[in-house]
Amino acid sequence: MNTLRYSLSAPGSEPLLEDLKAYWMALGVTDLSLALALSEQTLRRLPDRPDDEESSARAIIAAGELLDDRLAAALDLPRPSPALRAARAALLSSAVPEWPSILFAPPSAAKPALERLRVAIAEPTPAPNPAPMPTQRIELFSLWFPLRWMQRLLGVSTAR
Amino acid sequence: MKPDFFWKKSMMQPSQPSTLGYTLRRMVFFTLVALTSLIALGLMVSVFQTNGLSPMELLLLALYTILFSWICVSFWTAFMGFWVILFGRDRWAISRQPPDTAPDPAVVSPRTAILMPIYNEDSERVFAGLRAIHQSLATTGQLDDFHFFILSDTRDPDVWVEEELRWQDLVRALDGKGRIFYRNRPENTSRKSGNLEDFCTRWGNQYRYMIVLDADSIMQGETLVEMVRLMELHPRVALIQTPPVPVNRTSLFARILQFASSLYGRMFTAGLNYWQLGESNYWGHNAIIRIQPFLDHCGLPKLPGREPFGGEILSHDFVEAALLRRAGWEVWLAYDLEGSYEEIPPTLIDYAKRDRRWCQGNLQHLRLAFSRGFNALSRLHFLMGVMSYAASPLWLLFLIATGVEAFIQTQQEQVYFFGENWMPVWPVSFAVEMTTVLLVTLTMLFLPKLLALLLLLKERRLRQAYGGMPGATLSVMLETVFSVLTAPVLMLFQTKFVLAILMRKAVGWPPQQRGDHQTGFAEAAMAHGGQTLLGVVAGTLSYLYVPAFFWWFTPVLLGLGLAIPVSMLSSSMALGRGAQRLNLFMTPEETEPPMVLRDLDRYLQDSEPTLPVLRQATSSRFMQALIDPYVNALHRSLLPEREPPGKRRRHYLEGLVQQLEEDGPDSLSPQQKRELIADPETLLRLHAWFWSRTPNLVST
Repeated sequence: MNTLRYSLSAPGSEPLLEDLKAYWMALGVTDLSLALALSEQTLRRLPDRPDDEESSARAIIAAGELLDDRLAAALDLPRPSPALRAARAALLSSAVPEWPSILFAPPSAAKPALERLRVAIAEPTPAPNPAPMPTQRIELFSLWFPLRWMQRLLGVSTAR
Repeated sequence: MKPDFFWKKSMMQPSQPSTLGYTLRRMVFFTLVALTSLIALGLMVSVFQTNGLSPMELLLLALYTILFSWICVSFWTAFMGFWVILFGRDRWAISRQPPDTAPDPAVVSPRTAILMPIYNEDSERVFAGLRAIHQSLATTGQLDDFHFFILSDTRDPDVWVEEELRWQDLVRALDGKGRIFYRNRPENTSRKSGNLEDFCTRWGNQYRYMIVLDADSIMQGETLVEMVRLMELHPRVALIQTPPVPVNRTSLFARILQFASSLYGRMFTAGLNYWQLGESNYWGHNAIIRIQPFLDHCGLPKLPGREPFGGEILSHDFVEAALLRRAGWEVWLAYDLEGSYEEIPPTLIDYAKRDRRWCQGNLQHLRLAFSRGFNALSRLHFLMGVMSYAASPLWLLFLIATGVEAFIQTQQEQVYFFGENWMPVWPVSFAVEMTTVLLVTLTMLFLPKLLALLLLLKERRLRQAYGGMPGATLSVMLETVFSVLTAPVLMLFQTKFVLAILMRKAVGWPPQQRGDHQTGFAEAAMAHGGQTLLGVVAGTLSYLYVPAFFWWFTPVLLGLGLAIPVSMLSSSMALGRGAQRLNLFMTPEETEPPMVLRDLDRYLQDSEPTLPVLRQATSSRFMQALIDPYVNALHRSLLPEREPPGKRRRHYLEGLVQQLEEDGPDSLSPQQKRELIADPETLLRLHAWFWSRTPNLVST
């Protein structure tokens, strides 16, 4: 069951709503009504909505934040965090195509799919385990070498 | 567990080389080199000294001595290799030595990191190669002992994003989470050596060994496992280099080179091992390295002074091997370890381009060869590296000096009566000596090819693998003609590089065009036009003024005169395949490709990516990173955690964003594009901006 509360959008925000709907669908939401609901929920996050490009861009960012909120809650991840960014990438990677229904479903119903999502989260590098690598000294050839060598050979000391 | 008697028996057989063993082998080798050089020099001196030595003759003698000694090192190395292979394997080869310590079956296998440093490479090929290696390791049953690291230094934004997607695809296809890793360095400080240092200092502690590959390296799983086993058995060894065999190219040029490297190379590597033993060298890839000594002793300093001889050490591999040797560790060439492959440049021009990159690094070693503390053999490795490029200008100088000397000779009239002699004094003929010198030099150059061919008679399986004895013989003959034709061209290329470097024109770090492609007329004319012109001028001058010299000079003139057609024709893949159909230039890897190479081919031809986004055709991965929500999210998730940019940086990025918005992506340079997608905030902002503009258009 969908847990979203539907609400009417404010007058004049239809184009914004359409933009958001297209974006949610590009993220993988195939259910039109869910896409619309998510778009409306996104819009509610924006305090003021002048109908211009900038507010549309802010709406897209807000949609991403809404997704991150859900994802962080579902996977119990801190936000913002690298883990959450990796989780978002895994979510959108089509590893769990039914994510829209599980992310907005009751927690118990989503458990197996969330497990699959956890498995799909990329691990680009292992945890670092720093080790020192001291810079080596290479004493390049100098004309003083043979002179110093002869000096040592002859036992002449320069120390005073 | 092995029974006791087996253990004792294996201990009795091959042994570790003693100090005396090392000394003896080297004495034999260097005595032969010195003796041959002295004999040839003696013959030359006998020709020149009759009328006293002129300055030009002195110069000729000096050049001949250097160049002939260089040929002798190569010849005797090949001869030693011939001997070793003819009478079985070297008993002191690292693969035959008894373990330093008895292996304990209870000890868990160490974890080894397989590193692939890449820089703007063809991602599809890189990841198909890794997949083939992974698959080959899986068949050994020891996959869990290995981790894979793709260490990207890529600067091109499109290639960077492509790499990330290919990595994700590979991880998913092979269930490789926690085993296959990827990172892109924000700054490619110190190039490849810095790339490896970054790995060592961040994750090196978690592994005992690292196996360093190149972007086009392919290694069999069994070989990788064997390399680790050898390192475990010999704790005194810090590095084992395998000889990479060139494979997979179809152009005629590359197939000739593959054949030559495969047939002659095994003899040369056996010979190198014969006299270098545990003081061998590192070739930069297809080698296993013990990480702790590498951490302790291989932090490379910057050389004082400006480029080309100062600054960052470019050819780091030789230096790292020398530093390990300086610290008392052994470095071995496992010449008999098979299953190690690489790909070579497909055309003559690409081959020269690769030379240009290597040349500066090798010349830099001139300063290191006389530095304090290095072993004698490490110094020799440095000097051999220098000579591999310095030999070209020296040969050119030798040819010019010979021509000038011949001209001077033609200007001198013979005097038959001088002093109080009433009988005519006839000029002494040195034709016999000169012919002997020439024959000795040619023998030194071409006999190794014949020896390699003779070795095929020993083994039927090998004979068949090289296309049978008639095919192999004809291939050697044609390869000899081809190498005679291309040698003057490469000589001029390398001379140009050496001069440019000496004139402090720094050589860049251009990525190689590794895939097969054909050289067009325009490209060939641009690259070889000057050489052809030089050949025509030199030929005309020598024909007019020193006709006797002209005919001796024809092999060089022919090479230069035909440079453009030879370069174009040899780049032809159709001719390469045609030669293959005629059973020419066959290698064992072509006759019966090992599974790992067949897998690579299969992954390149048929493999369907797991990630849907990789199946979509796109003209720009950069734009995809801005627009596609998944690519954008993946890229942002792989960016390293960094401090937010400062005020000035933000202002700069703001300017780039505006430029992108107003003038489009084509107005930005690759570097600017990289800067945009390297900042997570900017990336997010641009993603939102694109979707706010025309979401329906974008989504389709």
